[in-house]
Amino acid sequence: MAVLVDITKCIGCESCSVACKLYNELDFKSKPRNGADELDDNRWTVIQQHTTRKERIRFVKKQCLHCKEPACASACFSKAIQKDEKTGAVVYYPDLCVGCRYCLVACPYAIPKYQWDKQFPQVAKCQMCESRLEHGDAPACVSACPTGALTSGSRDELLAKAHQIIASDSRYVNHIYGEHEVGGAEWLYISDVPFEELGFKQVSDTPVTQYTKNYLSKVPGMAAAWALFLAGLTYYNHRCDKNKKSDDDKK
Amino acid sequence: MKAYKCFRILGWDFTITPTRFVLTGLVLLMAATVVLRLLTGFQYVTNLTDETPWGMWIAFDVMCGVALAGGGYSTALLVSMFRYEKYAVVARGALLTSLLGYILVMAGLFLDIGQWFNFWRPFVSWGYTSVLFEVFWCVSIYTTILSIEFFEIITERVLTKQLHRYIVRILPVLVVIGLVFPVMHQSSLGGLFLIMKERMFPLWWSEFLPLYFLMSSFFIGSAMVAVETSLAKTAYGHEIPHHIMVELTRVGGRIMIIYLLMKIYDLFTMDQWGYVFQGSLQSNMYCAEMLFGIIIPIMIIFSPLARSKTGLLTYAWLTVLGVIFNRLNCVFTSMYESGAYFPGIGEFIVSMGLISLGVLIYCFLVENFNIIGNERAVQIKIDKDKDIKNLIWALLKRKKR
Amino acid sequence: MSNNLSRRKFLKVVAGSGLVGFGAMVTGCKGDSPDGRGWIPDQYQGKGDFPVNLKGRVAIAASNPSIERDDEKCILCGQCIEACQNVMAVYGNYPLPLKMEVACVNCGQCAMWCPSGAITEKRSIREVAAALDDESKFVVVQTAPATKVSLGEEFGMEPGSIVNEKQVGALKALGFDAVFDTCFSADLTIMEEASEFVHRLTSAKDEIPHLTSCCPGWVKYCEYFYPELMHNLSTCKSPQSMLGAVIKSYYAQKNNLKPENIVSVSIMPCTAKKFEAARGEMEVDGQRDTDLVLTTRELAVLLKHRGIDLNTVPDAQYDSILGESTGAGRIFGATGGVTEAAVRTAYFMVTGSNPPAALLNWQPVRGLTAVKEAAADIPGAGTVNIAVCHGLKNARELLDGIKKQGSSKWQFIEFMACPGGCIGGGGQPKSTVAAQPEARLKRIAAIYREDVNAPKRCSHENSEIQAVYKEFFGSPLSKKAEKYLHTTYTNRHDRLFD
Repeated sequence: MAVLVDITKCIGCESCSVACKLYNELDFKSKPRNGADELDDNRWTVIQQHTTRKERIRFVKKQCLHCKEPACASACFSKAIQKDEKTGAVVYYPDLCVGCRYCLVACPYAIPKYQWDKQFPQVAKCQMCESRLEHGDAPACVSACPTGALTSGSRDELLAKAHQIIASDSRYVNHIYGEHEVGGAEWLYISDVPFEELGFKQVSDTPVTQYTKNYLSKVPGMAAAWALFLAGLTYYNHRCDKNKKSDDDKK
Repeated sequence: MKAYKCFRILGWDFTITPTRFVLTGLVLLMAATVVLRLLTGFQYVTNLTDETPWGMWIAFDVMCGVALAGGGYSTALLVSMFRYEKYAVVARGALLTSLLGYILVMAGLFLDIGQWFNFWRPFVSWGYTSVLFEVFWCVSIYTTILSIEFFEIITERVLTKQLHRYIVRILPVLVVIGLVFPVMHQSSLGGLFLIMKERMFPLWWSEFLPLYFLMSSFFIGSAMVAVETSLAKTAYGHEIPHHIMVELTRVGGRIMIIYLLMKIYDLFTMDQWGYVFQGSLQSNMYCAEMLFGIIIPIMIIFSPLARSKTGLLTYAWLTVLGVIFNRLNCVFTSMYESGAYFPGIGEFIVSMGLISLGVLIYCFLVENFNIIGNERAVQIKIDKDKDIKNLIWALLKRKKR
Repeated sequence: MSNNLSRRKFLKVVAGSGLVGFGAMVTGCKGDSPDGRGWIPDQYQGKGDFPVNLKGRVAIAASNPSIERDDEKCILCGQCIEACQNVMAVYGNYPLPLKMEVACVNCGQCAMWCPSGAITEKRSIREVAAALDDESKFVVVQTAPATKVSLGEEFGMEPGSIVNEKQVGALKALGFDAVFDTCFSADLTIMEEASEFVHRLTSAKDEIPHLTSCCPGWVKYCEYFYPELMHNLSTCKSPQSMLGAVIKSYYAQKNNLKPENIVSVSIMPCTAKKFEAARGEMEVDGQRDTDLVLTTRELAVLLKHRGIDLNTVPDAQYDSILGESTGAGRIFGATGGVTEAAVRTAYFMVTGSNPPAALLNWQPVRGLTAVKEAAADIPGAGTVNIAVCHGLKNARELLDGIKKQGSSKWQFIEFMACPGGCIGGGGQPKSTVAAQPEARLKRIAAIYREDVNAPKRCSHENSEIQAVYKEFFGSPLSKKAEKYLHTTYTNRHDRLFD
């Protein structure tokens, strides 16, 4: 399941963020921890207003992009964040969470937030309403969008749709944010304004998990080689000691 | 006249000096803070935010603690494997520092995790794609190994001689295992940062990060041994021949040169010279780190300056601080965006308390077991009149009478 | 021996925990994720792009001077969109992508429709209370015609109850230094607007059709969507701003008050009046025409806070010299009222005599028909064709028709943004039948009762109006009148359209 965000259609009504709070029972009264239009543990999605170079206003919905190669899930050492095979949602399971916050620093977009004022804090991020996806429903935010800025469907279909929109309307920039960014994401954005003007982070197409994978794949071999080398050395030293001892004895 | 108090309880020596009195106070203060932290979460004790989710406890206590404790494995490697037997005099001290370092690191980590009652999860729920998973297992196993190795020293004095014999017998195996795991996790600590490519300032991120961390843990290890021995000398009057220390640190110095060359190679291949001279906060911090933490120490250690004790000590301190600086830069400076973070009082109290606890345990152990120079240490004299705390002890003593 | 044992034990522990972990991994034992224990409205259960009747809500910018929304109360029912799109024809009538702002004419109908009270006017109650408590300020207040037939509903009275004198009594009890009647300035507006209309009819034919300008929601709508008609808008300020300008000039002068010490408050049935009061144009010689605007609902809140019950408060009369009103001024609150009042005085201006009884009870312009058409025979000026339109969706249809034909068959068109006119304004008391016409019809009936009960029926008969002209303005459309009573408009088309 994927979502296509057409930034040109967003009017900033924030139906999505209210639907999110309703469905996920987040606190409406909580003081914004990182600024009124930034994510925090009670704001899993926010609308951010940007003024472009041409003095146009644009609203950008910010939430977890649900990467295809999620850095957070890869970074979690207790599997408390997992990518759901069926729905594609990157889901957090608090029961498994130790609270190391590696996911917060690993995410290329700095999306996961933390419940800093809780006694036993947990990570907070968009779950893509996985419980709704399981029933074939759209995420709450998508359901409530009045202008059609949000559409949900299969990623391939939405990608095709996005490409078709871009091809048929010259106002759109020829870039689907989320198609390739750090390996691609379930959330896709199209816009008539270059993404860097809208606060989108410019990231490379290589999934960051790649570097970890490369490294970890070498570790067992290297460790084994190192251990063998050390064992050999120990044995050699041992032999030397013995010879020396016997030499001494002979003397 | 002796200026410290030494109690002997059931055959164990407990020495109390003014410094240790203060350290005990710090430990008690920490204990109170720890209780507050574990019961109320992070809000009252730390200044952590979503922008700096990793603070002093990770950057200083864990990253630096592990690096400092690297002295244990680097000396062990030289002594046990490469048979530099002349360094054996420092081996036990280094082993003890490593063990204490790791125990304190684990304590720090335990305080830093939000759902601390869940600390055991990674043992059963295997997040094997995470570098942290490797670090977690390696640190756990290595600490166990270190404890068993250290048990050899303990069993010299207590428990059965038979047990001591067994431990001596399996010691070579333990040493091999004990050299595999620290190498793995020292590099993995650098590997932790690999996934943060899009978050870190380019100067600190490199695919060689695991290697950098490993190498720097090696040279901070030997530098730390030098610092420790000089501290131990002030406290216990025990001296290790200067030329041995110079040679030991020069091994680290050689690694340091390779480290510097690789860093420069990185700048060329990733085309990052522009960032170095950008003049921004990050580039300045990077330059400072390289200059004071790497280039100047190299110049000292391979010059005649190293022959003087001050020269060697300067090298050692610069190297230690340089690596600490590097770890802080990796965690904070490289990911600095807008939010300024300064550790909260609680974070300082806990960090200081942990270090104090380490020092106290170290002192107790070296005074009761054959560690420094393979013999038991005795606290040297302190001038009583200079210290008020001693007066308090004197008063207490008088009351008892 | 113990060596072997301990090693085996150690391995056992490691392997055991590993097996448990592997088992947990395979069986997918991971507990619950924290999402999805909450509620969202039934209509959104289903696929997101499935067509449903109502979806989401309208956008309200944080900088909106008229209305605001409490997210916690919002149930995403879509009623605000219904009001904005199908009553006011604002939502959905601006192009996407947005240009410089989200269109809002500040009418407040979304607040009227909102079933959970999430959308409210941006309240000025605190500021008014603070001004009342400030001894150094001379706080004056004016009450709009439509508030007199609706405020009672907030105190348990039937819709259509007339609380004219009681409202004045309540305001005096609150501590206002003077209470004036917006009906007075409605008469003033009629003097100016009728003169202007007669002038346009005879010598400035390109400014025909004459479009009324007393409704700020409509004015902004015109600026947004029909900038080519801006020169047809009457240049007259609305009664609120006219009275404000008169208070800080003529009244201040007569009573030796410094204009900067006067706090001018208005009680309006309207949220757009808050926007109008904040417009850059509504200022003369550095003095804001209106300082603070309270809606009818806010006044009720303020009265209740101060423990004043409208049912028991003693009656009082409006203060002279800006307190007299005629029937013409009083019917401003209902759709068609402005037209009827203007025609009465225009008739007098052209013919020199008061209009016949038929024009004093002019049924074709009354009632809730979307677009009402009428013709007035004014001897000397011929037949004047008139249209009266309320609800901006109706206005859009009417204007699009004119645009299509290229010319208008009407010489005078009255526009009111809200259905029913001011009595159905976005700041009026909410009732269970807010969206239905019953309450509005009752309020309208009350307005016309007020007209019939008035001793004078035409604006030009108002003796205080005559005094203002004699002592201050000279005559309608004089230089001084232009300065204080007329205004200009801002083209807002560019903010929405390329």
